[in-house]
Order: sequence, then C-alpha cells, then structure tokens
Amino acid sequence: MMCSEMEERLNEYVDGTLDARDHAAVTAHLAGCAGCRGAVEELRALVAGARALPRSIEPDRDLWTEVSGRIVQRATWNVQRARWRLVFAAAAMLALAVALYRLASRPAVPTAEERWTAVQVDYERATRELSGLLAAQRGRLQPGTVALVERNLGIIEAALSDCRAALARDPANPELRSLFAAASRQEVELLQWATRVAAS
Amino acid sequence: MTKTTSGVMLALLFAGPPPAGAQQRIEQRWPLEPHGSVRIVNPFGTIRVMGWDSDSLGVSARLAPRIAKFSTTGDTSVRKLWVDVSPQAGEAGRADLTVHVPRAVNLWVKSIAADIAVEGVDGVLDLNSVSGAIHVLGTPQDVTAETMLGDVEIAGGTGRARVKTVSGGVLLRGASADLGASTLSGSIVVRAAGWQRGGTGVQRGKFESVTGGIHFDGELGRGGVVELESQGGSIEIRVPANTIVDFDALTIAGTITNTLSREQPRSGAGTSGAKLRFSTGVGGAQVTVRSFKGNILLEPK
Repeated sequence: MMCSEMEERLNEYVDGTLDARDHAAVTAHLAGCAGCRGAVEELRALVAGARALPRSIEPDRDLWTEVSGRIVQRATWNVQRARWRLVFAAAAMLALAVALYRLASRPAVPTAEERWTAVQVDYERATRELSGLLAAQRGRLQPGTVALVERNLGIIEAALSDCRAALARDPANPELRSLFAAASRQEVELLQWATRVAAS
Repeated sequence: MTKTTSGVMLALLFAGPPPAGAQQRIEQRWPLEPHGSVRIVNPFGTIRVMGWDSDSLGVSARLAPRIAKFSTTGDTSVRKLWVDVSPQAGEAGRADLTVHVPRAVNLWVKSIAADIAVEGVDGVLDLNSVSGAIHVLGTPQDVTAETMLGDVEIAGGTGRARVKTVSGGVLLRGASADLGASTLSGSIVVRAAGWQRGGTGVQRGKFESVTGGIHFDGELGRGGVVELESQGGSIEIRVPANTIVDFDALTIAGTITNTLSREQPRSGAGTSGAKLRFSTGVGGAQVTVRSFKGNILLEPK
C-alpha cells in the first residue's frame, strides 16, 4: 500500500514536475517502499494509457452510414418505432465508444524487465543528481566528513561492482537484483545525508 | 500548575562576562506541558536529556565563553533550546547541556559532534548527529536515531526504533517489538529480550549493512517477521534452541553454517554460494537472510 503522505509527491514525480532534490528524495523513498513503487507503476501506466487515448472518438463511419441508411429506408415506420431504433443506435454507439475508451485506456502492465530497467534508471539519475549537488557543496563539509563519505562511497561502489559482475553472469537473478537495489539505495541515502549536512 | 505559577520563570542566569578561561554557566527552568515538544540544537559537547515527573523543563548548561551562545524560545507546549556556534569552532565551541523534561514529551535533538544521551523519556524521539554518539535508555514510544560516524545504543523497550549510521556501530538491546537498523560499514548487534524479561521477542525487524557484520542474539516473536541483509558482512543469528521459525537464507558467494537444526545448506546455482530453507514448526517467526559474499551462521544460544 502506498504511503498516504507520499500521494501528492508521487503524482508530481510521475509528472516530472519535482525539482532535483525532491526527485532524488522520492527516488530514495521508492527504493525502500514496495507500496509506493507499485503506486508509481500504476500512475505511469495510467499516464501512458491516457496519452494513448484519441483526443476525441469519432463514430465509426460505416456504422453511422448503416444506421442512417436504415433510418431512411424505414421512414415509413411509425414514429414510435423509429424513435426506439434511434435510441438503440445511440446506445450501440455509446457502448462502442465506451469499449474503445476502455480498450485504449487499459494500463499496459510493465514486465519485470521494464520495472528492473526503470529502477536502474531511477537510481542512476538520483545518484548523478545528488553527486552533482554534493560536489557543489563539498566546501561546506568538514574534511573528516568528506573523507568519511568518500570512504563509504568507495565501499558501496565495490559492493555494486561485485553485484554488476554477478548480474552479468546471471542477469535475471531476482536475489542479485534485490541486493544490487539495496546497495544502490544505500548510496543514494548516503549522498542525501551528506548533501543535507552540507546544506544545514 | 496554575496559569500564574506557569508564568513564573525560574531563571538563574549567571550573566555578565565570565573570567577568562572560565565556563559560562546557565541554570534555567520553564513550565512545559506533559506532552509538549522539545527541540535542542547543540553542535559540540554533550546533550543529556532526562525525563522527570514534573511539568516543567530545566536546563543546566556549561558553555565555552564568547564562542558559544545559548538561546531559547517557546511557550508551555513547545520549547526550543539551541547553542549558536560556528561549525568551524569544533571542541573550542563545546557546550554541555543537561536538560530535564516531562517524561511524555516528544523530543528532537540535533548535533554535529555532540554526543546525545536520553534517559527516561517516553514520547517520540528524533535524534540526529553527524559524528556524535547516541544513547537511549528507557521505554520511548518511538525512536529515530541517525548518526554518520557515532555509535548508537538503544536499551530498554521501545515500541518502535529506526536507526541509521554510516560507519558507527549499532547496539539494540532490550524488549523492543519493532526494530530497524541500517548501516554501511558499522556493525549491528541486536540482543532481543523475550517474555522472561518483559518482552515479546522481535515482532518485526529489518537489519541491513553493506560491509558491517550483523549479529542477532535473542528471541523472535511468534509470527514475527525478521529480515537481515548484508552485501559483504557476516550475519550471525543465535536464538533459543526451541525457537519456532521458518528460516530462509541465501548467499551468493558466501557460506551458510547451521547448527540450530539438522537441515544443511545446498549449493547455490553457480560455483559458489548456498541456500538453506527449513521450518521448525507452524506459526513461528519468519526469518529471511540475504548476503552477497558474507557468511551466514545460525546456531542455538
């Protein structure tokens, strides 16, 4: 289940309207929150579905020709019957429009590979942005803190390197992916922490 | 406390310029609601907070003269205390604060290098330092403790604790039900008390590290869910021999040693690594262990 306090930020995250810092913060949160990750996937699917929708749904030309033709042919029918026909035709068109809309808006469920790719992209982006932010604020940190951060970033990079090598041999291993994601999250959180300390 | 008396501030402020080399001393007291909030900022030195059975906040402080300046603001529901000092001052700008607060207050503390110690406060604690150590003793409702370099110790029985360090060690001991600890290169030690010591065992636990070792020693709550994960650190679990547990362990490149039950690990899919799954009964705790290259040990205590 999604964290209730994240609802607004997740919407902005998917819309791409968050600033760099908030984006990185949400990315870090997503790393540790399966509920919010699921919510982001649903939101992305919803947005993709909405984008795929036509701006308007025109009635099928042949269907309308047929309906109008029959109306003309049966012009001699009594008015009451003709009205019912029109109502049925309108209902049929409405049903068709609804079906078209639902077909077009059905969310495309991302595959495990797509989700994995998205996770990697998000981490890389968060790490890149936070690293840039930290580099700009590095002078505000104590030398000891800088040394600590660099030492531990090195530790994480070594762990990630191990995971990457293992993933190269066994790319679909879910346990490896999970360990890789955990180390990536630790890296993002360390960078967040350091930038927060530098900014305070 | 009446409004009249609550308006009375007992202040003994030894103002005036202190003699050269002498520390500035401050003794002050303000009324504070039992469930009020307290915020303390002290970059260097020590911060000691103790709960007491009084609806007031008292502070006793010693500061480096002319370098550190004590300030406060607030009312009967919120009180903020802080020490102004340049971040570059280091130990020359140290201040030692001892603060007494009503037991049920919510407490927020921040430091750069100052050690933080909290004792007997039962509200929500949010404690943050860059390189200071954090110690909590008592039964707070909820604890969040973060420090990059310092060690963290939480002892007693918190309802919920979340601890994060970069290289500091973490020690969690006592009768806590919901524990979470994350470290990069520090170690995590959990000593969980069971019902014999007033606890229920750990009902929910998540412990993770990159290179630090993780040691769980104690009781698992029935139906509890505990996860331990490390990239390169060893993971050791010692539980009572009669523990009912569903155990699921996997290491990509390390080893698994099990003397808690007869089941033995199987080799991993590749040339290295191992996995082990077994259950000692129905309705027990679920323990999941994952490591990349750290070794996993499971044994009776």
